[in-house]
Amino acid sequence: MTPRAGIAAGAALALAGAVPWLVGPYGLTIALNAAMWVALTVSWSILGGTAAYISLGHVAFYGLGAYVVVTSWQVLPLVVAVPLGGLVAGAFALTIGWPVLRVRGPYFVILTLGIAELVKYAVLNVEAALGASSRLLFGVPDNRTLYLATLGLAVLAIIVAALVRRSRLGAGLVAVREDEVTAETIGVPIGRYKVFAFALSAVIPGMVGGLMALRSAYFEPLQVFNPVISFTIVTMAVVGGAADARGPILGALLLVVVSELLWANAPQGYMIALGVLLIGFVVFAPGGITGALARPRP
Amino acid sequence: MDLIASPQLLFSALVLGAGYALVGLGLNLVYGTMRLLNVGHGDLVMLGAYVAFWCFALTGLPPPLAAPLAAALGVLLAEALHRGLLHRLLGAGAERIEANSLLVFFGLSIIVQNLAALAFTASPRALRTLDDVVHVAGVAMTESRIVILLVALAVCGGVLIGLRATVWGLAIKAVIDNGRAAAVVGVDVPRVRRLALWAGFAIAGLAGALLAMVEQIGPFMGFPYTIAAFVVIILGGLGRLGGGVVAGLLLGFVQVYGVALTAPTFSSMLLYGTFVAVLLLRPQGLARAARIRS
Repeated sequence: MTPRAGIAAGAALALAGAVPWLVGPYGLTIALNAAMWVALTVSWSILGGTAAYISLGHVAFYGLGAYVVVTSWQVLPLVVAVPLGGLVAGAFALTIGWPVLRVRGPYFVILTLGIAELVKYAVLNVEAALGASSRLLFGVPDNRTLYLATLGLAVLAIIVAALVRRSRLGAGLVAVREDEVTAETIGVPIGRYKVFAFALSAVIPGMVGGLMALRSAYFEPLQVFNPVISFTIVTMAVVGGAADARGPILGALLLVVVSELLWANAPQGYMIALGVLLIGFVVFAPGGITGALARPRP
Repeated sequence: MDLIASPQLLFSALVLGAGYALVGLGLNLVYGTMRLLNVGHGDLVMLGAYVAFWCFALTGLPPPLAAPLAAALGVLLAEALHRGLLHRLLGAGAERIEANSLLVFFGLSIIVQNLAALAFTASPRALRTLDDVVHVAGVAMTESRIVILLVALAVCGGVLIGLRATVWGLAIKAVIDNGRAAAVVGVDVPRVRRLALWAGFAIAGLAGALLAMVEQIGPFMGFPYTIAAFVVIILGGLGRLGGGVVAGLLLGFVQVYGVALTAPTFSSMLLYGTFVAVLLLRPQGLARAARIRS
């Protein structure tokens, strides 16, 4: 990072941290949305951006984290429950990672979508068996606290993603994207790398899910495991350009603005706009905004 | 155990499986000839169901007669999509087509679902027609289910015979097996692909019009059918339309007997569980089947 970029990042962080004292309640909800989507999309890009293994099932991790926080409500303190949600999500990714990541390309994409639905219906069945179709949480933290915690996770996600990209692991994952068979041939431990990156990209979404369950103070499996969340993450990453470290941040912030313009008045209009953006970028600018802006290197 | 052995359950499984086979047949034609991973395939089923619903609600036309209209809508959409978007995708190699088409169709699927929600509201609807009960050999069947079973089997059978017995059918089979070789021996590959796309979309629309008689009709009803169609083509094998029909019936049996042994709430888990299991057992998806065949 150049000194100038470092100063810019520090200033942006200071500004983001001061948001609760600068804006009203409405502005704070937008900031909370922005922090949440940046955290989710950047985490997703740890595998999706480097190795181009596009997970359309990240909502499973988000939902599991939320479920851990909700079921342990008033049993565990939140400083334990939220990280535990992240660990459970990561452990789940680690468990399913070995078989799931053998599936390549587009089949991986639809497989993750199917797994997320499977997890959703499994949780629904567990909840039905427990006789709890929805749960209310009383005495949740206020939005200011939740925002600062989510912002912390967003910053953590950015740091982890940047460290991965610079590491041997990141180089190996990029090699997987370019040519998986060749990468394996020259000795990149692709299986281990992919599973580790998959688990890593699940931990923060699990914690974010826990925080968002506190935000709504309400838990309903169909809402928390809504595949729209996975779809939004992928669209944000594709729009920003997942191959570039800045792409997921840019895409998330941009779509949060679009969402604010459309969601309240025309929720279906927002979904249609997301679909149009996804198709437009895949067909006309597969590298996303950052890919289109980047000058070809000599 | 009485329940498991009952012919009533067998009939339910056959109807569900025939519906899946029909939906999967359409996807198989599109995927086989063009390598387009149409994750919006189930949304064509949804549109067909709405055609049947509105035909019945507005004019009293029974769904089996609205089915040709739903198929025609499928052809129109196929042609519009082909002209507007697909020609841009089809230029690339097979792997790129698969990866890009998946995200593009996912976007289209979201757009179509939400347009349907805007136009018809998100609340589910149901058709009450052809629900007289007929007793055949001690099994109570509604007329609508008999129609679904017969039409689905007739269409699947017709397509399978057509693929062997007509020039166009043989051309489609050739393109599925090896597009480049088919072009070398003089098959007009672009036209054959277009025909297959029309047929695939038409079959999905038709299936939707039939299934409207027994399913709740809503903008988001399509996705389970997409998943079922993928089970059918992955289990049945790339371009093996006959294998796909068997796989569709098998999925129907898994779901109906699975639910009979557990509880109705497990229905979705059985569908997605089968899907996940099938992909984990065939991690190369359809590619391996293709390699063996070529």
